[in-house]
Amino acid sequence: MSELLDIAQAAVEAAQAAGADFCDAFCSDSTDVSVEVEKSSINYCATIRDQGLSVRAFVNGGQGFATVQQLTIEAARESAQRAVALARAAHPDPDFVRLPDPSEAEEVPELFDEEMAGLDAGAFVEWCLQGIDEARAVADDAIVQGGAGVGWGESALASSTGVAISKRGSSAGLSFFVIIARGDDIGTYFEQDMARRMADLEIGGVAETAAREAIRQLGSRPVPTARVPLVLGPLATMGLIGSVIGAAEADGVQRNRSWLAGREGERIASEVLTLREEPLVPAGLRSSAYDGEGVARTPRALIDRGVLTTYLHNSYTAFKAGVEPTGHAGRGGYGSSVGIGVSNLQTQPGEKTEAELISEIDEGIYVAYAGISPSSVTGEVSTTLDFGFRIENGECTTPISTTLIGSTGDELLSNIDAISSDYREEPGLILPSMRISSVQIASEG
Amino acid sequence: MRDLIENILHDARRRGASFADLRVNTGESTSISVEDGQADKVSSASRSGAGLRVLVDGAWGFAPTNSITGEELRRCLDDAMSMAKAAAGHVAEPGVVAEVEPVEDTVEATAEIDPREVPLADRVQRIYEIEQVARERDDRIVNSRANYADGVGSLIIANTFGTYIEQQSMRCSVRVAATAQSGDARQIATESEARPGGYEIARAIDPDAWAGDVADRALALLDAVPAPAGTFNVIIDPRVCGLLAHEAFGHNAEADAVWAGESILAGREGQQVCSPLVTIADDPTLKGLNGSFVYDHEGVPARRHDIVREGVLIGYLHSLETAARLGVEPNGAARAEGHQSEPIVRMSNTFIDAGDATLEEMIADTKDGLLLKGGYWGYVFTARGQFTCNVENAWAIRDGKIGQHFRNASFAGLTMEMLSRVDAVGNEISFDLGGTCGKGGQGMSVDAGGPYLRIRDVVVGGQQQAGRGQ
Repeated sequence: MSELLDIAQAAVEAAQAAGADFCDAFCSDSTDVSVEVEKSSINYCATIRDQGLSVRAFVNGGQGFATVQQLTIEAARESAQRAVALARAAHPDPDFVRLPDPSEAEEVPELFDEEMAGLDAGAFVEWCLQGIDEARAVADDAIVQGGAGVGWGESALASSTGVAISKRGSSAGLSFFVIIARGDDIGTYFEQDMARRMADLEIGGVAETAAREAIRQLGSRPVPTARVPLVLGPLATMGLIGSVIGAAEADGVQRNRSWLAGREGERIASEVLTLREEPLVPAGLRSSAYDGEGVARTPRALIDRGVLTTYLHNSYTAFKAGVEPTGHAGRGGYGSSVGIGVSNLQTQPGEKTEAELISEIDEGIYVAYAGISPSSVTGEVSTTLDFGFRIENGECTTPISTTLIGSTGDELLSNIDAISSDYREEPGLILPSMRISSVQIASEG
Repeated sequence: MRDLIENILHDARRRGASFADLRVNTGESTSISVEDGQADKVSSASRSGAGLRVLVDGAWGFAPTNSITGEELRRCLDDAMSMAKAAAGHVAEPGVVAEVEPVEDTVEATAEIDPREVPLADRVQRIYEIEQVARERDDRIVNSRANYADGVGSLIIANTFGTYIEQQSMRCSVRVAATAQSGDARQIATESEARPGGYEIARAIDPDAWAGDVADRALALLDAVPAPAGTFNVIIDPRVCGLLAHEAFGHNAEADAVWAGESILAGREGQQVCSPLVTIADDPTLKGLNGSFVYDHEGVPARRHDIVREGVLIGYLHSLETAARLGVEPNGAARAEGHQSEPIVRMSNTFIDAGDATLEEMIADTKDGLLLKGGYWGYVFTARGQFTCNVENAWAIRDGKIGQHFRNASFAGLTMEMLSRVDAVGNEISFDLGGTCGKGGQGMSVDAGGPYLRIRDVVVGGQQQAGRGQ
């Protein structure tokens, strides 16, 4: 048993001794090493070790949650007692039933890479220098910001119902933001790569892509205010998908603050949209065998041909609803209480390439990146299409400036008329492009 | 503790650091969450640690720890030196810091009621009462939440110039949210009070007026219609004005972005950058606002930062490093979220100053346009100067009169272009945007405000085709 698990279990025992009806404890010990690039120059390196634990205790359903930035048995016991005292101060919650029982799952392979965890700052300096050179090879006036780094660590979870899990993980990545300024005409763009094992990380080409795309953003212009079709590129789909899945979290649904309340089992999107969650992909960025309460995660379709198949539950919302937990308890770290979250999302690709989808549009917008995230409560969205191009006669032409979208989650999802066959793939994630047949945009044109 | 800290800084110099600073941070916080009539989540957090930063041969190294012991601080020194040396030799533009006179001071927290002296049950009851008002306002309120947080902390700031400051802090915040539903339509409104101080902040709230207003706003939005899309003359309220000052201008005035070539204000000091009607400042010395402080996290005394005076760019917000790079005096604008983050340039209380118009005059003088009220969120790409502000409400203005109520609107534009089109500035300012600003992965307490402001030809994103004007 790991030392962290010993500490977590000591916290659980202390909370039970103090009178908790149910409790769990989470410990983590992580290290991050990073190098930062500013104005095309290396200028900063950091190594950050973060240790801490949290204890969640329930008394008559009321929840107390205590955290401390220490990893000792003594701190665990003190936090446990504090959590129980806080739970007694909370109102009883008759909707709380219990914490989940332990479940069995095979560990997901390759979430920790020894080689990656052994990288030192010198390696990231080299990656960053390569990035600066790449961007400047594209444009010698490129200004490069960004950086590279690695994080690795161990965590442990124990509960009064017998959950006892510890795991290790690592991930490394690099990202670059490139600015090309030609007088008052400014083009910017960013690119990144991240992986859990060295074999999946592509160090070369990240900054080059950012620089090439920044040049493409030069000469941006407004477009006419109109209803037009949109093609959302892979990164632009992330905000939409993420916010829709966020609205499917059972907590918001049960509390009547989600626009997807009452929609489980109903069609919420065009039938071309199928979205799967694949939590067990080896070396997947968001892979894990268990959720944040120790419930085994399961691959499943979340949206199947447009139908919302399930709400996402942690143990509280599941038992409140009289269903089994779905393995979606989310825990952001020792400082965060337990919420709801998903693992790897994969949108099922369609029949035609992104280029073919664009070629079928006479007048429209290609969105390379924007945070098109409908409010989880209202389902409405009004925001800027930050990086994109006008589509004219089947081709991307000029980059767009000051162009906003006004819509709703319902409209965007039901108007998806095609998903591209080609896609961006990150470890565990599949991100094709989406075409939305008609959306209101506003601009100065 | 002081001997230990000064020994570590002395060793940093001895080992080749041209500058080093150490921040030691301890504190505790309590939070209470009430939703739909149940205060069923009560939390507390205890934090402690130190962050050590060294500048060696023009390269920065940073290493924090959660354990404030001599052994751990020496490990941090080893790590920070090793980090800096890994970067040194690859630095194209060596890091520098502006020399400042050392400061020795102790700053007490200003609060009337230490929240730790208020029984937890009383704090729970108070937040329950606030949430109850929103919940019971109308049957169409289908969800209500209130969140409370207090925090007490101590921050020691020491550096190799000889600065040694012990700064106590106390903060308190209350937030309420109400969701209203009619048919399938849901609308939400929120409000928050957040600033340095103690439990008196929660106690001073009038639940009926404060939480009741939030519920009323959510209810009113049920009757609003989707906003039009197009280009409009707009009047923005003080909250939206604060959002605009912060997002559109303030981030561009942060000198780290200026130096890095990531701000549209770089190289424009002394130039006309917006309408002569516009004066913008950032002032951490204003009392009782969410972004107020006495010393920044590099130990530089807080001072008002004049950014724009009558449309002319006056200056930027600086850290020790950016002041040295741009050859000016540091002005105390570097803060860090905690000991695990390094200080970076941050705004405090950012505002557009008052003019001489009244709201009534502005509305009466607007033939076609929109009144935008209630800033929700915003963001900016400083390098392009392109910003977005999302607002809670919009109303049509027709022939000098307020008309149809709209919901779901944002406006966006290029900072200097838009602020050059300001043609009326209200004669009263208020600060009403106390919250947290995110930058570089760090959250920071800020506030923002301003007067009513009228701007010509603003692009508004809505769901209805309207074209120009209404």
